[in-house]
Amino acid sequence: MAELQETLGIGSADDTRRARRGPRRPGGARGAFGILFAPVTLLVVLFLVPFLIMVQMSVVQFPPNTDSGYTLDHYVEVLTNPLNPSIAWTTFVIATTSMIVMLVIALPLAYFMVFKAGRWELFLLLALVLADELAPVVKVYAWQVILGRNGIINWLIPGGPVDWLLYSRFAVIVTLSTTYITYTTIPIYAAMKAIEPATFEAATDLGAGWWQQARKILIPLAAPGIFVAMILVYIPMLTDFVTSDIVGGTGSYMMGQRVRDLILGEGNWGTGSALNFLLLAMSIVLSLGAYRLARLNRIEA
Amino acid sequence: MSTHRSGDRIGEILVDAVTKRFDDVTAVDDISITIPGGEFFSMLGPSGCGKTTTLRMIAGFEAPDAGRILLQGADVTHVPPPKRNVNMVFQAYGLFPHMTVGENVAFGPKIKKWSREETRERVAEAIKTVRLDGFEDRRPGQLSGGQQQRVALARALVNRPAALLLDEPLGALDLKLRKEMQLELKDLQQRTGTTFVYVTHDQEEAMTMSDRIAVMNGGVVEQLATPKELYQRPASAFVAGFIGTSNLIELRVDRRDGGLLTMDLGEGQRILAVVPDDRVSDRATITVRPEWIKLSTGEVGDRATHVGGTVVDVVYLGSVTQLIVLLPTGERLTVHRLNDEVGGEDPRPGQQVTLHWAAEHSYVVGSEAGAAEIAGNAKAGGTAETAGATSS
Repeated sequence: MAELQETLGIGSADDTRRARRGPRRPGGARGAFGILFAPVTLLVVLFLVPFLIMVQMSVVQFPPNTDSGYTLDHYVEVLTNPLNPSIAWTTFVIATTSMIVMLVIALPLAYFMVFKAGRWELFLLLALVLADELAPVVKVYAWQVILGRNGIINWLIPGGPVDWLLYSRFAVIVTLSTTYITYTTIPIYAAMKAIEPATFEAATDLGAGWWQQARKILIPLAAPGIFVAMILVYIPMLTDFVTSDIVGGTGSYMMGQRVRDLILGEGNWGTGSALNFLLLAMSIVLSLGAYRLARLNRIEA
Repeated sequence: MSTHRSGDRIGEILVDAVTKRFDDVTAVDDISITIPGGEFFSMLGPSGCGKTTTLRMIAGFEAPDAGRILLQGADVTHVPPPKRNVNMVFQAYGLFPHMTVGENVAFGPKIKKWSREETRERVAEAIKTVRLDGFEDRRPGQLSGGQQQRVALARALVNRPAALLLDEPLGALDLKLRKEMQLELKDLQQRTGTTFVYVTHDQEEAMTMSDRIAVMNGGVVEQLATPKELYQRPASAFVAGFIGTSNLIELRVDRRDGGLLTMDLGEGQRILAVVPDDRVSDRATITVRPEWIKLSTGEVGDRATHVGGTVVDVVYLGSVTQLIVLLPTGERLTVHRLNDEVGGEDPRPGQQVTLHWAAEHSYVVGSEAGAAEIAGNAKAGGTAETAGATSS
């Protein structure tokens, strides 16, 4: 974790080491155990045990009972079902588009907050945090009201109501983008906070225009924040099913919904677990990939 | 050592009747300065005196509300910073932390799309000029403060600017390093023949490096002169106090004989001052440097001040001993005695001494108008002194 933090530029490994070297309480080792006991237990009970159950489910023959043997059929089913590639593609398109939309909003927003907002900086930060405090389901329903056939937007635009606003990929992308905008903006904001304002004046002085400054100074220096934002946001979007359930349509059926429908709809725990496990594996690969990119960026940029 | 012929306008900067206001505060008030090409020019003053604002207007980061800025004869008042042939070195350096030293220095050339060979050549030359050869592949974070400062210098100099603008560039360094860098900067300026415009609040720093200094206060230039002139002939009590240590004495003019003013203190004691013109009526403020005051032993000449006093404090400073002497007028004078002999005896506190200095060494810095205000200061201590002055 310390190494990851260092790579991503959030505090350094030195800090961690210094913190560890701090004043030791008598019986330090036992003290540390006492402090860590509760969170470790919590993690094991609430995360590791369900995870292991899921992994077991994905390899147990149907119907699952004590006599069932083990099989890889569920994985074969997931990988060969012709429906899955198209669902995966839809999920990828929606999550990636939302990610791009959020970055396009978050980068200028974070820049504005750090370098231009002055006394409004704290207000904007607070607004972002408050926007996230709202329960996701409430937000999704709010978008239903805004985008619906009799919603605010259709009421405002001339030329009669438009149908593609709601129950569509568009609606899912808009809703996901607003749901995760806080988690995209804050890490980028934190990374930009570390940039010395004189850096931009120096670049101006050396002849760089705003686009060159954005490309050669701002984005490379904000890169650690951008990667943290992508890890924080992209993976939850891959598994999101609430949003697409409420504002999505036939063209926005996502992986999260598929897992939910397999397990809760069909009672097909085996295939649902196998698909879920593959999603998790993909998420881990994606995170590691982003981590690698962040590292490379620090070496090369 | 400028390589430019006189009449040549290379590196010349003209600040013409420039005013800058921030809301209702006038930061710079109708300032006019001419900086000839190849000069090491400093703007010196306390914070808020308008020196940095003036520099930023020359760089193009601030637009004047009135007046013009001319670079090498061309009006650049409304030209954006990159289009002016000047570069700036910032107090916080503004180095690009994600780039190596070489990449930092090559930033300007790459933006200007110089050819690959020219960029490589000039970057190498600039890095060599600031003595950072071998550090090309390091990151700014791996360098010391002084080395980072040199990267900032190389990054600006590689563009071959007509003038280099430096905004307190040594402010973040410790004293020892600062002194080294001062000499290095002066050397660099002489080697490149570039006009340097240097902003600082440290009078010693300005004195060490500059050809000429503009002492600024409250948005105006109090005096623009060579370091020697500033020290010997301060134009105002403010300049006298800001440059080095100086004594301010309020002079009551009892007699005047041509340019010679006399204040009689009885028993043959008197304070003398010389003025070249009639600007002094019956009151004046004079300044005298501590090392110009001598403890008299024998006869004192006609044209010399001659005044008795009581020693109240003696501080041994190494090369000099500083005495504080209380005059009958109630003013306290700082006197520096050069310790040029081992075993020399210093006066003790409480001892009566007689002081003398040549009339020419009493320099009139203000008359009637400012006298009341200055007298207040003089009574409070008689010595105007700044941080970093010779006594420290």
